[in-house]
Amino acid sequence: MSTEPVSRLQHILAAGAFAVTAECGPPRGSDPDAVARRAATLKGCSDAVNITDNQTAIVRMSSIAGCSHLVRDGLEPVMQMVTRDRNRIALQSDILGAYSLGIRNILCLSGDHQTFGSQPDALNVFDIDSIQLLHAVRTMRDQGLDMSGFQLSCPPRMFIGAAANPFADPFEYRIVRLAKKIDAGADFIQTQCVYNLERFRTWMRMAADAGLTERAYILAGVTPLKSAGMARYMAEKVAGMDIPESVISRMSDVPGEKAADEGIAICLETIAALREISGVHGVHIMAIGWEEKVRDIVESAGLMPRPDVP
Amino acid sequence: MIVGEQKSIAELQKIIAPYKKILILGCGTCTKTCFAGGEDEVATLASALRLACRKNGTGISIEELTIERQCENEFIQEAAPAASRNEAVLSLACGAGVQAVARRFGTTPVLPGVNTTFIGVLERQGIFTEECVGCGDCRLALYGGICPIARCSKKLLNGPCGGSKNGKCEINPDTDCAWQLIIERLTALGQLDNLRTYIPPVDWRSSNSGGPRKLVREDHII
Amino acid sequence: MDNTCTPVITVFCCTHTSTEGSPLFPDDVSGADLRIIRLACTGMLKDVFLLRAFESGSDAVVVLACPEGDCLHSEGNIRAARRVTYTRGILEQVGIDSQRLVMCNIAPGDAEAASQALRHAAAVLTDTDGGLS
Repeated sequence: MSTEPVSRLQHILAAGAFAVTAECGPPRGSDPDAVARRAATLKGCSDAVNITDNQTAIVRMSSIAGCSHLVRDGLEPVMQMVTRDRNRIALQSDILGAYSLGIRNILCLSGDHQTFGSQPDALNVFDIDSIQLLHAVRTMRDQGLDMSGFQLSCPPRMFIGAAANPFADPFEYRIVRLAKKIDAGADFIQTQCVYNLERFRTWMRMAADAGLTERAYILAGVTPLKSAGMARYMAEKVAGMDIPESVISRMSDVPGEKAADEGIAICLETIAALREISGVHGVHIMAIGWEEKVRDIVESAGLMPRPDVP
Repeated sequence: MIVGEQKSIAELQKIIAPYKKILILGCGTCTKTCFAGGEDEVATLASALRLACRKNGTGISIEELTIERQCENEFIQEAAPAASRNEAVLSLACGAGVQAVARRFGTTPVLPGVNTTFIGVLERQGIFTEECVGCGDCRLALYGGICPIARCSKKLLNGPCGGSKNGKCEINPDTDCAWQLIIERLTALGQLDNLRTYIPPVDWRSSNSGGPRKLVREDHII
Repeated sequence: MDNTCTPVITVFCCTHTSTEGSPLFPDDVSGADLRIIRLACTGMLKDVFLLRAFESGSDAVVVLACPEGDCLHSEGNIRAARRVTYTRGILEQVGIDSQRLVMCNIAPGDAEAASQALRHAAAVLTDTDGGLS
């Protein structure tokens, strides 16, 4: 990874602090203030905010635009970029544009298949995969070259991230894949949300054994559960999700109106446990549709105030 | 083989509506094998369309003929007399065959009766699976004989995404996760290390993305 | 259906269910004109045979096959069932009531079961108007 931190998030991680990132989905419309309104509650309680890229293949305001609005409002965005919708020409072009707009963090993903979204009839692109994108962004940053080998004027110097899912199949291969992402250029990793701490600890141990925790900052994902229904839905319908029966029982054993509180309690216990795991450098709170709870969670977890960056 | 499915009777009725005298031309190779356009399917379709037209009160005269394949002039020319006797040809070949026949019988409308879908194999009787998308730069050796471009829904070359569940692709529980299969096959071959190497982006110029392709074999041209 | 016309029913059966000597339909149970086509095995049925029967004037078609699990040629009756189902789909697309295509598994020479199948087909004809006329 580059020696001089290029973003606020990188600065905080390099200084050894436990980072907090959050997530925000752009609107299904063009309102320029919508992103700022959603992200307003995240200001001051997170070090950076991910803006998703047509998540679940549902057409929304672009991530680059959403990130640009955050920059304007003094928040630090992480631009998520999927390879599903854009070929290498468009991806590189957007990376150059993003950097010019003050965006300094990028998360490289393949993206959910378009059959899930609002336009299942669209042609998918997948010109390159997420690992090739990581490689491309790192080459642009460290060598100033685009994918054709052209020397860029003012290369984009981004802090580069990738997603990892410790709970997906096939389990044995997950560490090989993590290694490939870090080899290709990932400086930081945000994981799928953690409910099964045992399995997560195993994955972290395997990552440490492979020397990977020394080479990239791993931020563990957490998502507070709102209801037993949500827990069951995620366990059954969302690919790559591992929610132990014990967690689902906790959610369904409490009366309906207390479920949300129980979900927050589980979330706080998870964060406390994650802070104890060697190699975990932060937490990525994905409270989609429940962004207003993030401040409470961060506060109750004892992670306030967030560090200042010179 | 090339795999396709016959269009619905409703759609075919619309396609042949302008014509009173048609030739249904079958193909004895690929579309016969996938039960879309062989001799039996020609006979069945002709009968079905006649019944449909009778029900509508419209008349239709249907001639039936099947040739070995519709992608070679040598066989297409056998259909010339039949084509000239009719107002239109409804071809049950793959898209390539339809176009070859249309080229040959330039002044007779040649209509498609089959939706051509993929290059595939017969997994077992009655089941056909897509295996190849003709990328033009075969890398099956690296992946133990399983193609991530054709069989991974996201064309990933550097390993699976996080959506694989019980060895099935996130988009459809009936679709195998190609990467699960690749990992299992390479493990069986003792070649799992193939997957540690970074695979760079595909050069799509050799695929249809680079424009429609042509193969010229000078050594076979007299 | 014009009630003054005698309905026409085509029957496809295999040489196992109906042997040459003993007639399968000793009594005229359906009041229909019967056309009987014997195949070596119902597994040899092609969709086009069933459709051409309708084309050539049949109001209903009955397929009589060996009992389930007991086809003389092991899978013939299963193949026949597949063809019948598929052809019913075509009939529906074409606007003909698919109930006019009937399939029954009967023991060899079981005239009662054969007659029942015929009566069923004849009943369909009086109930529905999904034929060609």
